[in-house]
Amino acid sequence: MEPSRDDFVIALRSAFLKKGTQQRFSLLSLIFFSIILLILGSFNFKVIDYVKITIKEVVYRSSFIVSVPENFLKNNFLIVNSHLKLYEENKKNASELNRLKVKDLSQKIMILENIKYKKLIDEYFIGDKETVAKVLIDKQSPFLRSIIINKGSKNNVELGMVVLDEGYLVGKIVEVNFFTSRVLLISDINSKIPVSLQPGDIQAIMSGKEKQEGVLQYIRFKNLPEINEEIQVITSGAGGFFKTGIPIGVIAIDDEILANNKKDKIVNFHRDFSQLKYVKVVSFSKEKKILDLSSKNNALKLENEIKDTSQQQETLRILLEQKKIADEIRIKIQKENDSLRIDRIRLKKESNFFKNENVRLKNEVLVDKITNNKNLVQDEEIKFLKMNLYYGHKCRKNFLNNGYKVNTVKYRKCVLNKGIKRINE
Amino acid sequence: MNEIRQNNIIQNIKKYVPIILLFISVLNEFDFNHLGLIYFSFNFSYILIFYYSLKKSESLGYIYIFLAGLFNDVVLGTPIGISSLMYLILCGAGAYLRNITLRPSLIKDSIFFLITILIINSLLFMYLNFIFNYELNYFNQIINITYTFLLYFLFANLIDFFEKFFSGNRYAG
Repeated sequence: MEPSRDDFVIALRSAFLKKGTQQRFSLLSLIFFSIILLILGSFNFKVIDYVKITIKEVVYRSSFIVSVPENFLKNNFLIVNSHLKLYEENKKNASELNRLKVKDLSQKIMILENIKYKKLIDEYFIGDKETVAKVLIDKQSPFLRSIIINKGSKNNVELGMVVLDEGYLVGKIVEVNFFTSRVLLISDINSKIPVSLQPGDIQAIMSGKEKQEGVLQYIRFKNLPEINEEIQVITSGAGGFFKTGIPIGVIAIDDEILANNKKDKIVNFHRDFSQLKYVKVVSFSKEKKILDLSSKNNALKLENEIKDTSQQQETLRILLEQKKIADEIRIKIQKENDSLRIDRIRLKKESNFFKNENVRLKNEVLVDKITNNKNLVQDEEIKFLKMNLYYGHKCRKNFLNNGYKVNTVKYRKCVLNKGIKRINE
Repeated sequence: MNEIRQNNIIQNIKKYVPIILLFISVLNEFDFNHLGLIYFSFNFSYILIFYYSLKKSESLGYIYIFLAGLFNDVVLGTPIGISSLMYLILCGAGAYLRNITLRPSLIKDSIFFLITILIINSLLFMYLNFIFNYELNYFNQIINITYTFLLYFLFANLIDFFEKFFSGNRYAG
């Protein structure tokens, strides 16, 4: 038993105390050193803090450099992927753009009105510091969901500043170094954000859960409103850490949630935190309510802007109404026009018919007239011939009387006057 | 003369390959330890450190391991010094096993490695959970330990192969 114990001690001593070849420190001394670092670090010892900051500066930069090939490959993959999806995306975007354009004007009015009301209740925040930063490291550690950005105290970044990605909440600054800062993502389990659920204005606290998910805690009402659309999760502004109304994510409503069987209400974040490249670091401060000349002017300007926009909307509404009426009238006129055109065509046809009839009748009358004339001439001829039989001998020139030559006008007249005497009379 | 100098340079590069690998695995954003998959993750740094402290202790200096641990803490956001401590305990275990081993066997090495990473992860879990209030998923830790243990066989053989192939090291493995 004794030699075996000795062997164990010797092996242990050799492993932890003996400096091997190429080793400058023994293992035990380094273990002690790391324990000291841990203990002093937990007590926030100043020297350790400086050491930490120095190591962080070095590590963040070198980590960024080491990750360059990987990021290059990742970015290229994403570019190729986005190129492949470009056509579908374009189609989707075009339809989305059309839909959003319609909403735009009324939304603008709502925003302006919102600002106005917030100013009234002294709740209006304005962005006073704004910095755009590049994400250096996104390690996706399970212990701390955070990213490192390339802006630090040198660029006026301060603890607690809000980090946004295209207007969506990403996290807040929890550690500031001279050149770099660490952002605690809202997906981290330690991040607790006061949120408001819309519609319904239900207040809750959101904590991180998974990469793309948060979970609602301390929800004020257990039953979520029974609506078919998604519930929007925005910052409530309670506690004063965040401005009110920064969009965070949505809660997809399913039957389980409505029936209140689901224990956790899961928030799906708008942004994919593993794809962050550039973020905006902002801090919000309450707008001072001193009514000096410039603020008065601003208020007046805002008021005018609201009025203008409302007027524009009203004009647009009236124009739309007018257009509607004009359209109705146009359709009516068009219908009338069509019916008149049909009548005109009908009448034209009728008129043509009557014209033809008229011509036909005229012809008939002419024919009748000609026939009548002919008959008259024939009657006169018959009358002449008849009288010629009776009185022809009296008018004919012979030895006994002084008459006229046959077939002359005078002879004819003589016959019709029943002899020469009559002419003389 | 030129050939000797060139050989020296290559030898030096070969000498620093484990250190470079360790630092890349620690500093790179792509980490096998946090792949984002539910049922797959392993700690490459543990495998590398244990293997080299067991087989070729002169390749990875303790001070480099200590620094790698510090860097890992900074990158992961864990309290500074904790990864160094774990790495150094792993080194100690490797060195102890090297001292007591007369006839090296991969099976025995891997069983010892399993016991060591179980102890290390328990320490890490206790330290982070009870002292620093980090919420760790117990199931993920088990998955990580299991795959680290299983992949030790693969990586040990791979490193052996490369050591033999490039360095012509007769004693590797």
